[in-house]
Amino acid sequence: MQEPVVRFEHISMQFPGVLANDDVSLEVRKGEIFALVGENGAGKSTLMNVLYGIHTPTGGSLTIKGKKMQHFSPKNAIDLGVGMVHQHFMLVPSFTVAENIVLSREPRRGGLLYDRKAARQKTEALSREYGLKVDPDAVVREIGVGLQQRVEILKTLYRGADILILDEPTAVLTPQETEELFDILRRMVREKGMTVILITHKLGEVVSVSDRVGVMRQGRLVSLEETKNVTERSLAAKMVGRNVLHDPFLKESQAGEVRIRAEKLSVLDNRGLPAVKELSLEVRAGEVVGIAAVEGNGQSELIEAITGMRPMSGGNVEICGTSIRGMSPGRIRRLGLAHVPEDRLSTGVNPQGTISENLIMGKHRSREFTRLGFHVNKGALERYVGKIFSRFDVRAAGLDTTVGSLSGGNVQKVVIAREFSFDTPVLVISQPTRGVDIGAIEFIHQHIMDKRAQGCAILLCSADLDEVFRLSDRIVTMYEGRITGSFPAEKITKEEIGYYMTGARSEEGTSHG
Amino acid sequence: MGNLFTVGLFQQMLRSATPVGLAAMGGLMTEHAGIMNIGMDGMILMGAFTAVSVSWLMGSAWLGLLAAILVGILVGLFFALFVVKFKSDEFIIGTALNILAGGLTVFLLRSLFQVKGTFQGTPDRPVVGLPRVNLGILAKIPVIGPILDGSSVFILLTWLLVLVMWVFVYRTPWGFWIRAAGEKPDTLRTAGINPERMKWLSSVICGGFCGLAGAQLALGNVTLFSEGMSNSRGYVAFACVIFGAANPGKAYLAALMFGFFDALGYRLQDYNINANLTSTIPYVITVVMMVYVVVRSQRRQKQR
Amino acid sequence: MAEKKRRMDWGYLGSLALSVCLALLVGAVIMWAAGYNPGKAYGELLRGATGCSSVGEFFTSVFTKRQFGNTLEYTMVLCMTGLACALGARVGIFNVGGEGQLYLGAIVSAYIGVLLSGCSAWLVIPAAALGAMAVGGFYAWVPGVLKVKLKVNEVITTIMLNSIAIYFCAYLSTGPWKTTQTNRVSGTETLAANLQFTRLIKGSSLTTAILAAAVVALLVWYVMSKTTTGYEMKMTGQNRRFAFFSGLKVDTITIAAMTVSGAMCGLVGMFEVYGLKGSYQDGISNEFYFDGLLVAMIMRYNPVGIIGMSILFAVLRIGASGMELNAGVPGELYRIIQSVIIFFMAAESGISAAVGARRARRKASREAKARLEECSRG
Repeated sequence: MQEPVVRFEHISMQFPGVLANDDVSLEVRKGEIFALVGENGAGKSTLMNVLYGIHTPTGGSLTIKGKKMQHFSPKNAIDLGVGMVHQHFMLVPSFTVAENIVLSREPRRGGLLYDRKAARQKTEALSREYGLKVDPDAVVREIGVGLQQRVEILKTLYRGADILILDEPTAVLTPQETEELFDILRRMVREKGMTVILITHKLGEVVSVSDRVGVMRQGRLVSLEETKNVTERSLAAKMVGRNVLHDPFLKESQAGEVRIRAEKLSVLDNRGLPAVKELSLEVRAGEVVGIAAVEGNGQSELIEAITGMRPMSGGNVEICGTSIRGMSPGRIRRLGLAHVPEDRLSTGVNPQGTISENLIMGKHRSREFTRLGFHVNKGALERYVGKIFSRFDVRAAGLDTTVGSLSGGNVQKVVIAREFSFDTPVLVISQPTRGVDIGAIEFIHQHIMDKRAQGCAILLCSADLDEVFRLSDRIVTMYEGRITGSFPAEKITKEEIGYYMTGARSEEGTSHG
Repeated sequence: MGNLFTVGLFQQMLRSATPVGLAAMGGLMTEHAGIMNIGMDGMILMGAFTAVSVSWLMGSAWLGLLAAILVGILVGLFFALFVVKFKSDEFIIGTALNILAGGLTVFLLRSLFQVKGTFQGTPDRPVVGLPRVNLGILAKIPVIGPILDGSSVFILLTWLLVLVMWVFVYRTPWGFWIRAAGEKPDTLRTAGINPERMKWLSSVICGGFCGLAGAQLALGNVTLFSEGMSNSRGYVAFACVIFGAANPGKAYLAALMFGFFDALGYRLQDYNINANLTSTIPYVITVVMMVYVVVRSQRRQKQR
Repeated sequence: MAEKKRRMDWGYLGSLALSVCLALLVGAVIMWAAGYNPGKAYGELLRGATGCSSVGEFFTSVFTKRQFGNTLEYTMVLCMTGLACALGARVGIFNVGGEGQLYLGAIVSAYIGVLLSGCSAWLVIPAAALGAMAVGGFYAWVPGVLKVKLKVNEVITTIMLNSIAIYFCAYLSTGPWKTTQTNRVSGTETLAANLQFTRLIKGSSLTTAILAAAVVALLVWYVMSKTTTGYEMKMTGQNRRFAFFSGLKVDTITIAAMTVSGAMCGLVGMFEVYGLKGSYQDGISNEFYFDGLLVAMIMRYNPVGIIGMSILFAVLRIGASGMELNAGVPGELYRIIQSVIIFFMAAESGISAAVGARRARRKASREAKARLEECSRG
């Protein structure tokens, strides 16, 4: 029996309105890879933020290496050897790798000056010791995410961490990078006797890399087992607490004319680098085309170019037969396109606005809701919004509630209610159920399938492969800005599609409708 | 036009540039810490008033200078209290600070010294100005010698301060922390350092420099206080910070450029060009530079 | 829900009233410390703003008082400049250049009056108003375009443009457009009497311009709160990306709002020339726009609130000159009081947010403990 290095006892974390951790008791042993799994919002990250001292728990106690925590702060946690690699990297983009690694514990010269040479040497020494190759003088903004993650790990090591928490470390990695990361983690545990806590919701990874696994659901720890005793399926059942698989939809092929046609489309990302490279794609009336890709392979830029949110750098896109080159989102909408965007709070809604203000957007100038073409007809508007509000089952105190105060699922319902109510022939939907509770997922899926049945051409982009499989007629895989394959959904398996998503396999040429 | 570029022109350039450059040294601290500091103009004004009144009361320019810096630091604390602690809108607080400074200095000028407009001390006790440099034999150095000889001592000290600030920002841990606090506060927080504390620090440094800038304006360039004498210099300093991408050296160069065009304006009056017209020159240049710098940095970003 | 919204406004008004009282208290303390009599000073302030020495006099004859006329006139100025600021702020762009736009509007309208002297007022006044609005609008359009198309910070450019405009007007009024009257060193020719607005209260600066201003203010309020344009402005200001995504012409809306804001400021300049002064003179605006800006900020750019708050600020500023004259207190005190109101409001919202967060944390901690006990019992 190994000694526990971390012991949570009856930890509770109550945020205003949300009980994120509910009486969690858990021990992590020295020298193990411990996986903590659960759905979005199950409380994994909160528990780890307690361990890292970011949150002070509202109940219970935490013991690290035999020391009971009194004051929760990252500094105290770091001093006890806890290091955390956050899901969103905590790096300063304009600093170099070495500067990021030594931040807050800079080597000094004469007590006042930052010692660049020492910082570089220490970075190189750590990099050699743990086999994590980095260039100490590279500016973090200019290196890829895989390297940035290494910098994050080196940073925790520099601070003397021997308990390493990784929050969703593989979300932004390709399978090769993931495998590389796991090799490093295994080596760190084996050779350096470190303890690794891995937060994830990818069950395959858990089974392949961890020694023990804990499952969290709705703030509680519902299961704690040796990894060798579990399977992906049993973990999944515990995570959700009921049968994970939704009933499949019955899909009859009914594809009609082409409504979205992209030809040799090229798009640049925010840094001005090519994100979409000469991509061609067609979506027909009455079909759902799902894009399957690892985050950061150009799918967001593709969607933004099709909807006019981002200029194209080459090629062309036609919506219902009209080229949209140089058009604003407003003009593209008038061609018959509605769009559920990826980031709903920054793009999909105005969080400061009320539910009515958000629901009426786009229709506010229609004759139905105005008098003389400019005076807002409040009565008609409220009647209409009230109708949509109840049809889409938005849970809120009233139409005057600000959207920013709603839960993620309800915000998404507002977006979907608005966009679907335009009754457009083309729908572009990005991440329809990210961060949405299970009940609402079913609801949203049903609405998407209804749109399909009405003959809408739907382009779907989702990080959730199950969702892509469930809704799509055709699945298109993207890798590094190019389409690597296009398959009828029922003719390919998730395992197979993985190869195409990682560029390991590719169909010759690009997609054909 | 041959005699347009006289020694006087360059002396005036340095004179105009120094308060702006000093304020910009402070402004780049808040800029690095992620605070949009519109309130510098008020900070300069309060510094100028304090410098003149303490110099007059105590009969010492250095005490006046010290008091101006202290008042600047207090104003910086006050600014941080609202912007950092209460998380108020920086723009609103900065504007309110400028208006408070304008009102308070005039109110005090009238109720303490019973004067309107300008205070130059009393006949029996004049306001003492900051000392001037006597280069002695070095004044014989061509071009530079005559320009610097007899100029206010802070024109030279500013060069040192620019260097110190550059080292502070780019070569000390605190510089790193302040920049991290502005660029990615959560990173600093998870590294165990409170980014808000860095914002406080930057605000205090900014206040101190603006106080210094005010003292130089009122005791170095001239030896008097006049109502509203900061005359948008705080805003110009803010623009210089943006031109210089918050780099001390570049920001000071921007201030020098402002000084040059300000001085050019004065020189052109000798050619019978309306003084009001020439006064617009530095501001026009500031707008043009602002556009140029922003456009250029965008183009460069796109090319990368 | 409608009720809830209204209650929130009451809370805001409550803290506003408290802030105003506290600011007046701070003003009193400053006066006391500087050796003045605060009671007398505030009395003189009220008398200076209304022209009345007693409550009775206020009810019987306030509308005949010169000082009251001045206060109303300045209320109009604040209302116009405050609404101009709110127009920009509503779409997320800050017009800090109202002062310059006002100056340019004033001098251009004055010069139009000089050029067209002898023509009918029916021709000159609309022409002057249009000219003032055009030049003010253009002077705001420039930083608006720079902001929208090139992302140049509008706060700095508009402040710089203020200085440029003020110096440039000074150049015009001492140079090419200078009056030939020998007793004046600067300023444009005085306008013919038939071109000047009629005074509504004798001896005061209150003229028929206030009627025009009332129409403009009503129009701005109506557009901002009752029309689709107002809705689009609000959405653009609150979440620009969302507005763009939804198909609004965000760039056009922003530039248009900025231009109209500038045009209003130009119009205020014209009102000053054709109403109060009769010609363009140096210092025609003594930071009028910044006073309006403060009013707008305090009222969080709410049009109705701006109209109300303008009265208070006008009383403070006009009364201050009475206070200076009769109680010897420097009139600049009103600027201190104005800014202190803002600081109190900011502190109040900051403190109440902090207290609210702490209370929520405590409550959460209590709930968690209670649940734990329940669990251990059960």
